[in-house]
Amino acid sequence: MSQIKDQVIDKLKSIHITLNGKKSNIIDEKFIDDVVIANKKVFLSIKADKSNIEKYNQLKVKVENELSKIDGLDKISVSLTSHNDNQLDKTQSNKSSRKGIDLVSNIIAIASGKGGVGKSTTSINLALAINNLGYKVGILDADIYGPSIPKLIGESKKPKVSDEGKILPIIKFNISIMSIGFLISEGTPMIWRGPMVISAINQMLNDVDWGDLDYLIVDMPPGTGDVQLTMAQRVPMSGAVIISTPQDLALIDAKKGLEMFKKVNVPIIGIIENMSTFICPHCNKETYIFGKEGAEFEAKKQNVDFLGDIPLEVVIRETSDNGNPILSSNPEASVSKKFLSIAEKIVSKVSVSSSTKNPNIIIE
Amino acid sequence: MLLIPVNIVLSKNKKNITLEYSEKSSILDAEFLRVNSPSAEVKGHSPDQKKLVYKKKNVMISGIELIGNYAIKISFDDGHDTGIYTWQYLNDLYQSHDSIWRAYISELRKKGMERE
Repeated sequence: MSQIKDQVIDKLKSIHITLNGKKSNIIDEKFIDDVVIANKKVFLSIKADKSNIEKYNQLKVKVENELSKIDGLDKISVSLTSHNDNQLDKTQSNKSSRKGIDLVSNIIAIASGKGGVGKSTTSINLALAINNLGYKVGILDADIYGPSIPKLIGESKKPKVSDEGKILPIIKFNISIMSIGFLISEGTPMIWRGPMVISAINQMLNDVDWGDLDYLIVDMPPGTGDVQLTMAQRVPMSGAVIISTPQDLALIDAKKGLEMFKKVNVPIIGIIENMSTFICPHCNKETYIFGKEGAEFEAKKQNVDFLGDIPLEVVIRETSDNGNPILSSNPEASVSKKFLSIAEKIVSKVSVSSSTKNPNIIIE
Repeated sequence: MLLIPVNIVLSKNKKNITLEYSEKSSILDAEFLRVNSPSAEVKGHSPDQKKLVYKKKNVMISGIELIGNYAIKISFDDGHDTGIYTWQYLNDLYQSHDSIWRAYISELRKKGMERE
């Protein structure tokens, strides 16, 4: 067995590449993820850079050709995996034994105390913005009673099931998306008690093939109930983002959301003020419909970061209703840039704060 | 958060767990954890519903499971597995170990119950 492995490694070493003007081979430059050989079959993956996928496809063919020259191999399976450096160590730790949501590097909850403050619209646009920054992103619509994500992305087809019996998320705008709304028709109300909701959430965490996402954005339902508690108990969340309008009434509830996450030790990434101001398209006069800078003030008071504000703009509402979020339909718009700047802040905060580690459980 | 342990070690004989913090470590035994389970089955939903758990001297810990970022769930070999022990609660149990234990023993006596 090990003889075959040596042959495989030798063959791989014979594949030369030029990196930064220096000649080398794909083994020494660590292009290859773990090589597995079993029953005359060889499996390996090439770490590929998404921006240059063509080059890696060529490399893949080359590797397959070289390995096919080895006698005694029945099957050669070469796959491309995309990666970024900061999650490298995570994906390498026994990938095969993990499932469902376990391969996701960072889970971020988008929450508010109150409904109707624009959580889902903000969630989908932030997901797109983080994807624009070069990360693999998914979005989980955890609002069982009022799923809005299907409408916001203009998609209602039923998800497919993989050979292993996992639900495959809907892929749209380069994002993996799952919502209870894909499983029921738009007009059907979910008339469920708590335990049903909890099992639906568990199913969307465990039985969906999320893959090795860098970020999973969870669009939380409003309030502090069953879903929030299940999420906090079932998954180690990297952090929570609170959305609020500047209005006092919304802020009271936002504060409750903050307190809940503090209780379950989920770091607060910060507060986003939505519907911060309205600029009249006719006279360009700015009106603070829900009051001025309320969320920013509250963030200071609660000693959490203020991530930015999103104005009330008719274009956000129109693109949302049309199922083509502003980040996808017009990434150059000024609100799109606001979402991008918030996404940058979130990503940089999460990579710093994820050092708050959970304990290791050791059974002697 | 200083309260989060670095390691949680379940002993070989399943009779105690050691919480290793960055600057100290504390040992809590299975019986103490079992009779002070924060579960609603033990604490009830108000102080007057609190149940006295007895005859647990030989109870063993059958499993520890991480709950989100804030707690562990401890399962015991008597079937009790609904107690979610937050970092804060574990720290409180350790800090006030002696007074909690004395109160437990005196309540056992008062009600004529045994540890075994």
